Amino acid sequence: MFFHIVLERNMQLHPRHFGRNLRENLVSKLMKDVEGTCSGRHGFVVAITGIENIGKGLIRDGTGFVTFPVKYQCVVFRPFKGEILEAVVTMVNKMGFFAEAGPVQIFVSNHLIPDDMEFQSGDMPNYTTSDGSVKIQKDSEVRLKIIGTRVDATEIFCIGTIKDDFLGVINDPATA
Amino acid sequence: MNTTKAEEEDASELKIGEDFLKAKCLMNSEVAILLEHRCEQLKHMSDDPMNHLPQVFEKALQYVKRFSRFTNQDAVKQVREVLSRYQLAEYELAVLGNLCPETAEEAKAVVPSLKTKERNHDDEAIEKLLQDLLMIKKFE
Repeated sequence: MFFHIVLERNMQLHPRHFGRNLRENLVSKLMKDVEGTCSGRHGFVVAITGIENIGKGLIRDGTGFVTFPVKYQCVVFRPFKGEILEAVVTMVNKMGFFAEAGPVQIFVSNHLIPDDMEFQSGDMPNYTTSDGSVKIQKDSEVRLKIIGTRVDATEIFCIGTIKDDFLGVINDPATA
Repeated sequence: MNTTKAEEEDASELKIGEDFLKAKCLMNSEVAILLEHRCEQLKHMSDDPMNHLPQVFEKALQYVKRFSRFTNQDAVKQVREVLSRYQLAEYELAVLGNLCPETAEEAKAVVPSLKTKERNHDDEAIEKLLQDLLMIKKFE
């Protein structure tokens, strides 16, 4: 899920950036530092949308660097356990398949794919029902439920399932 | 402490942590408008904007473009307005707006928190809500 959230960060600025453009320098450094990063707590920072407040700077002893507390609004993407979302299949193999929802990777193991779907190998590996009516392959769009997230300092990885009501393929690239 | 927090998390019961309960949830359609606007801005600022976009931004943009139910800005506004009449949590609102379920049963399956507690969301009210969504989609 995407969120619009207010975050805070202490920015260190070199004295050469002081002057009339201090604020602009601070904001562009913030964008460079923060956009595209991922934290386990807040998810992926997609884009900064505004600055709420820049606090008073504090000179660091010995270096001359100044630390500014900056409050900013941003769009983040954070997956949650129990969340249902749509994703694009990126890779299929006999262990299951990988899908992508924006910046996040989701793995769906073959135990969490309905039992009537069988793995078919070939140059376009896929999972297909016995009557061939439903097929999951690369670029398929699926609706899945996140059942677990693994969070480390710089990445979030999810485990998903399509073995539940109203989950599964929503769009087959072959027929679309 | 961090790990216990992660274990308690469950979006189907609206347990998404204090930080995110206070935050505003965005539907994919809203994010698409926001990011496209941002993309435009960057294009004006430099000649070769695609090179400067971080991968996360790029991927998010592609994703929301692909999975936006509503593309018209007025329609997106209307969706939020209509859904906010139904006493939904921010999170529930965004999931419904993203997935546009067709039946009350499907809606309760994708947003299980709809049927918990003594919230006055009977099937009739949910059906009405989905009808409203469908109308916006139709006239977009």
